[in-house]
Amino acid sequence: MRKRDLVSIADLTDREIEEIFQLADAMVDLNPIASHAKSCAGKIMATLFYEPSTRTRLSFESAMQRLGGSAISCPDMRSSSAAKGESIADTARVVSSYADVLVIRHYWDGAVQAMAEFADVPVVNAGDGSHEHPTQTLCDLYTLKKEKGNLKGLTVVICGDLKHGRTVHSLVYALARFGVHVVTLAANGMELPEYVIEKLQNEHHYSPLPLVSRDLQAVVEQPDAIYLTPNRPHQLALFTRVDEELQDDLSKMAPGLKFDAFYVTRKQKERLREPVAEGEASYPRIGDRFLKEKRFKDAVVMHPLPRVDELSPAVDKDRRGIYFKQAAYGVPVRMALLSFLMNDSASSHPAKKYLTVYRGPEGAISACANANCVTRTEPTSTDLRFEVLPPGSSETLNLRCFYCDHRFKVQLVGHVRSKRYCPYDRGLKEIVDGWLREGDLIVFDTIKQAEELGYEPYRTGPQRNLMDEAELRAAVKRISESIGRETEDRDSLVIVGIRTKGAFLARRIARELEKQWQRRFETREIEMYGSGGQPEMVLPEDPKLPAPDLHDREVILVDDVIHTGRTVRAALSLIFQSARPRSVRLAVLIDRGLRELPVKPDYVGKHIPSADRERVRVKLREVEQNERDKVVVYSIINADDSNQRSALSSNSEADS
Amino acid sequence: MTRRVLFEADEVSRTISRLAHEIVEKNGGTKDLTLLGIRTRGAHLVRRIAAKIEGITGAAPPVGDIDVSAYRDDRSRSAELSKKAATEVPVSVDDKTVVVVDDVIYTGRTIRAALDLISHLGNPKRILVAILVDRGERELPIRADIVGKNVQVANSERVNVRLRESDGIDQITVKSWR
Repeated sequence: MRKRDLVSIADLTDREIEEIFQLADAMVDLNPIASHAKSCAGKIMATLFYEPSTRTRLSFESAMQRLGGSAISCPDMRSSSAAKGESIADTARVVSSYADVLVIRHYWDGAVQAMAEFADVPVVNAGDGSHEHPTQTLCDLYTLKKEKGNLKGLTVVICGDLKHGRTVHSLVYALARFGVHVVTLAANGMELPEYVIEKLQNEHHYSPLPLVSRDLQAVVEQPDAIYLTPNRPHQLALFTRVDEELQDDLSKMAPGLKFDAFYVTRKQKERLREPVAEGEASYPRIGDRFLKEKRFKDAVVMHPLPRVDELSPAVDKDRRGIYFKQAAYGVPVRMALLSFLMNDSASSHPAKKYLTVYRGPEGAISACANANCVTRTEPTSTDLRFEVLPPGSSETLNLRCFYCDHRFKVQLVGHVRSKRYCPYDRGLKEIVDGWLREGDLIVFDTIKQAEELGYEPYRTGPQRNLMDEAELRAAVKRISESIGRETEDRDSLVIVGIRTKGAFLARRIARELEKQWQRRFETREIEMYGSGGQPEMVLPEDPKLPAPDLHDREVILVDDVIHTGRTVRAALSLIFQSARPRSVRLAVLIDRGLRELPVKPDYVGKHIPSADRERVRVKLREVEQNERDKVVVYSIINADDSNQRSALSSNSEADS
Repeated sequence: MTRRVLFEADEVSRTISRLAHEIVEKNGGTKDLTLLGIRTRGAHLVRRIAAKIEGITGAAPPVGDIDVSAYRDDRSRSAELSKKAATEVPVSVDDKTVVVVDDVIYTGRTIRAALDLISHLGNPKRILVAILVDRGERELPIRADIVGKNVQVANSERVNVRLRESDGIDQITVKSWR
């Protein structure tokens, strides 16, 4: 039987969390003669605290004793074994022979994950650096559920220090999983870290709603305060410059928003690297004004405690202040968790899913980019691993630390066997994935690092420019003019772009034609899923517009690059399923030849006869961040080709 | 109505020979080659082409017949026609070079329908189109890879390919109603 750890809230499935809550329901009256009161009889729990704690440690020890077990404790690890220089791996190995479960708190992000890998018994994370605090989250969720009945559809405002508060990080993941709307109200400079937001978006398809005003008083005074919508992906930087249009949109939806709970946190002074002075005045506080505000009459106030001055004692006497109840639930919830982890119910669980894990060869990247990550200080207890994330819009390879979840980006990738490196680009994704599978991937922070390890750049570079901004503009103009000349019936013309880049080009062509003819044109978009192409016609965003009717229309189909012709065939198939257009003409920016189907474009911006081992990529400013329009060609590096020092041989021949 | 003859039997025969040669050349031999004729005249042509290829290379490629009437965009008649009975492809098209053969290409709608049909049969490595007569004036972005004869005729005219198997004579004619 595999042992079960709780390092991250992600280690528990939704169903298991429900199961733990059911167990907690049975334990909440702390009945000493109930059946569960002996469920951990004879078992020993060891609490290893590298950081001071009162509530968490005592509630764990209380929980274990109420389950009939006993606790051994080292409340100050920092001054005992850590001070003697013992590695956390050794500590975990040794102590796991003294106890049946370890409860660990550590000041480094990811330290509990590292120790869990060396311990033979279940390990529970009682807080690791700024990373996670999953048992607190279980208590918080349980409290919220008890108070509000159902989690789904609630709106919770999370206030205070969202940057360093590990309780907050675990909590937002869990809230998103259970369908709770999260509104963030951060103190200045203490916003939710980007990696947390990205994880929310990537794994839970959720974006929290940050209050634009960071001052809770302003929220109280302006009941129609501004929020960003959850379906509008955003970056934190956006909050400071909300344009008027967005404000209009948002204030319209704000009045309907009802707050169910405020989750208040204290400033994590001990984790501040430099003092933040300006945050002081606007730090969100809950006090008298909150209590008087009608808008919040049903909003409960939670706090993981200890509090400093962000939560006024005036709230204590109000029925909405439930933080002492929340603290009291700590014991039954931890009882439920311990009995869950130590009994059979927890045995069948999928391991943490890291789909593509990168372990750099010796000397590549020596530590995670997070200064507080355990890999920095405990190289002997950790085995540097990163999850390779799906590429975003930037030209970087995104990695996530296995221990601390911290995300960082690298720009240089290398192929181990051929000892070559090149800048990463999304166009190289499939190749780099291949390298990763074969264990041939290495990543570098700098060119200097790559060259010190004996890596050479790919001889011809990974890309050649084929078209610059001006050429691209001229090509679109030329295509539009030809379309204009050859259109018989302007009223019937409709321009259909294949997403995503074809759709942007379609709009550009429509704009050119509009200039030419001084009238509006209809544009439509086709979305293709998967390589086989199960296309779908995208309906107009405005539901008042009629559905696309292509019957007897002159259709211009637009895509950025034509290669095999398979995409176009699938798009044609889709169009003909719905209608019989009068004609379909195909416009592409780049024809790179090597067709596999009898498809021929009518309008071509540029012919680029390219080799099989190359990829042509069109970059448009609508899609790329901080980039100009251009067309580049990439060389495909074939890792199986063992006889080559230069994996880009086909390209070099073409150039020489 | 007037009818004029564009090509007589010996020219038709030479053209079919040339199509066969070009198919072999484009495919680099007969490996993984499969020929599909579009009913009805494409189906006659495809057998003649296959026989020529056998004459050239000594190996006869597999031949199938496809009926695209159910896949066409002008489906008025499709209800009357049985949908599958007329399509007979005895081999898998997966990873093959499939050559679609028809007598005339005009708007491209027939070939487009054939591409749809073939995508339901399997996943070929490559699809080529071989046509006896290309009369131009495409309405879809479809091309013929191998063309016997290019002819230019008015929109009101009709190009007819007559073949021994169905018409008793090999002849390419143009009909006009003026």
